[in-house]
Amino acid sequence: MDLTWSAQEHAFREEVRTFLSANLPAELRAKSFAHYRLERKDYMQWHRILADNGWGAPSWPKEFGGTGWNPLERLIFEIESFKAGAPRLLPFGLSMIGPVLMKFGNQKQKDYYLPRIINMDDWWCQGYSEPGSGSDLASLKTRAERVGDKYIINGQKTWTTLAHYADWMFCLVRTDPAAKAQRGISMVLIDMKQPGVTVRPIRTLDGGADVNEVWLENVEAPIENLVGEENNGWTYAKYLLGHERSGIAGIGHCHRELAILKSLAERTMASGESLSLDSRVRDSINRIEAQVLALEMMVLRVAADSSDPGPKASILKIRGSELQMELARLQLQVAGVDAWPYDPDWMHAQAEFHGPGADYSPAAAAAYFDMRKTAIYGGTNEVQKGIIAKQIIGV
Amino acid sequence: MDFSYSEEQRMLTDSLRRLVTDRWTYADRRARQKAGVLDQAAWANLVELGVGGLLVPEEFGGFGESPATMLAVHHELGRGLVSEPVISSAVMAVTLLANCSNQALKERWLTAHAEGDAVLAVAWQEEGERYASRPLCTRASVTADGFILDGRKVQVWHAAGSQALIVSAVLDGETALFLVPADCAGVTIADYPTFDGSRASTVAFERVVLSTDSLIARGAQAQSLLTLALDFGITAMCAHACGAMEYLTESTIQYLKTRKQFGQPLAAFQVLQHRLADMLTQQEMAISSTYVATVGLAEQDAARRSRLVSMTKVEVSCAARFVGESAVQLHGGMGMTDELEVGDYFKRLTFIDMLLGDTNFHLQRIQDLGN
Repeated sequence: MDLTWSAQEHAFREEVRTFLSANLPAELRAKSFAHYRLERKDYMQWHRILADNGWGAPSWPKEFGGTGWNPLERLIFEIESFKAGAPRLLPFGLSMIGPVLMKFGNQKQKDYYLPRIINMDDWWCQGYSEPGSGSDLASLKTRAERVGDKYIINGQKTWTTLAHYADWMFCLVRTDPAAKAQRGISMVLIDMKQPGVTVRPIRTLDGGADVNEVWLENVEAPIENLVGEENNGWTYAKYLLGHERSGIAGIGHCHRELAILKSLAERTMASGESLSLDSRVRDSINRIEAQVLALEMMVLRVAADSSDPGPKASILKIRGSELQMELARLQLQVAGVDAWPYDPDWMHAQAEFHGPGADYSPAAAAAYFDMRKTAIYGGTNEVQKGIIAKQIIGV
Repeated sequence: MDFSYSEEQRMLTDSLRRLVTDRWTYADRRARQKAGVLDQAAWANLVELGVGGLLVPEEFGGFGESPATMLAVHHELGRGLVSEPVISSAVMAVTLLANCSNQALKERWLTAHAEGDAVLAVAWQEEGERYASRPLCTRASVTADGFILDGRKVQVWHAAGSQALIVSAVLDGETALFLVPADCAGVTIADYPTFDGSRASTVAFERVVLSTDSLIARGAQAQSLLTLALDFGITAMCAHACGAMEYLTESTIQYLKTRKQFGQPLAAFQVLQHRLADMLTQQEMAISSTYVATVGLAEQDAARRSRLVSMTKVEVSCAARFVGESAVQLHGGMGMTDELEVGDYFKRLTFIDMLLGDTNFHLQRIQDLGN
């Protein structure tokens, strides 16, 4: 065991930092640190900057246009990017459908879609959850009927993140209604810009509307938009969820929020003294820093393990969500009275803030409410604990 | 001790339960929140049932009710997530005035309050002072026929819509409390929405001319009146939180019985049953703790009273967080939407910890008063 970073890893970290300080627009950085809402153009801008510099797909192998970085390098990149205030990389193309197409897609699909993902020519969304199928995803009902050389799709998806910006949806549909649960499901790529696709935003606790309901009414997809084999979609879906989970610890996010928490405590005053000097506040910040460092090491351990992350990803998911929620809660507590004023309109960088206090204030409550989602999405923490019990402990 | 409600308390709480069920529906609450101003009809409904005069002494037309009845009432209002200024006005301002010795102000404002003709707010927090209750930057000076008030108060809960403000200020180096009609020249109220769907304001006082009889109290008496008002307000708010927790737990249980996943109701999963059991336990402990504070309000020793109230505030805030967060978690994705009332209750329960002193503030107060 050697717990030190190699010279090569040090050099890589330096390279990433240099890149970020040269290329990350100040405006995006400011938005991230103030918890303002990011818009379509913000994500696009950052993805294109990365793509233009050959870093558009940090987690992909070189043969598909990726950077070819190893898992540790990918983590270094993620952590440094978040610390610097870069927008998160959208997972829908890079971490979800991209890897599925690499493994199960045909040559034509790989050649067409993968470069477009790197260059952000297509915005993807994930058509998985349905109103009656959340944790129990396999009970999904959206139906795809084969008519000639195309599928006719009818159904409803929900919690579809950023679907209102999407050009394409990778969608789980039922192609064989007679088959039981997991069998009879297929994965189909759906063009979102066609009649019959209706996207309705779902307003969430923080006042935002990043998630949507999507209705599919007689929507068409040519059969060449089928991924892999018909009725084998569950295999691809599971493969994809494995990819989704490896990044789900949110360790980069934790690092950034810890930095925000510290600076908030520094500049928040109570009776002439910075709150960072209050022993109760200081203890809670020191404690969560210790927990973030342990989580980082846990993420590194899992990443360095060349075997599939598998059920250990569930540990990352649970702990990562707990720390993200706690960091938001501590920020809210530190902001205190400054966090009283809130109007969803104040969450945009160009908005005029009409409350008292600093302009970061309304974001503290919104972030606390919003972060509760981390214990719910991607399989609730209760479901994750079931996976740990069954697959790691074996009971 | 008798924990069962008296006949009068039962009738009152039953009427309040019916009122909030009818008139404080999800849609009603959202509409009032959007309007952003005090709904006079809603306020009148509350006053009709005696909420306005509950703590007003009988000689001023009120009911002079006990802290125990106050608890029962605010528990019901919390169930209905009532956002009208009941705690700030009918509890804090009324308690403060009822215990002062300015007879003219009592006649004028307590009577009006019991009749529903006046809403009052207490302005005591200042910029950069978080939850501390000693005034620093708001100052009053003596003139030939009264006082001049200058300064600024922040986080004034429900200032907009109030006819008058009770304002703490420095007068000759000591704390003084003034009653300032909101329409006085030089008073500027900048109102804003808070994250739980109610309102607060920053209030500026610029060369505000006050008559001699607007002085409520000064010196040690002023500070102890303010502390008393805060202690009553905190206890009422804890009762409100307990009512909100009770309602939220009930509706979460209902949701888990209805929502099916993996072919059975969510309520059939042991892990979720245990979380419900934890919610219920927290909620029951919170109401028990609120009884502790309610008993404490009758204490003659003010330090002991405040210490008990602070302990309750810490316990109830902690329970409120657990119950609120758990309700969202158990509702899953649906709990994250702004389209169910679970979110409204969660936000109110979150706000409770940040009103009238947060947990760290009260832990410090417990320590300071304990020695």
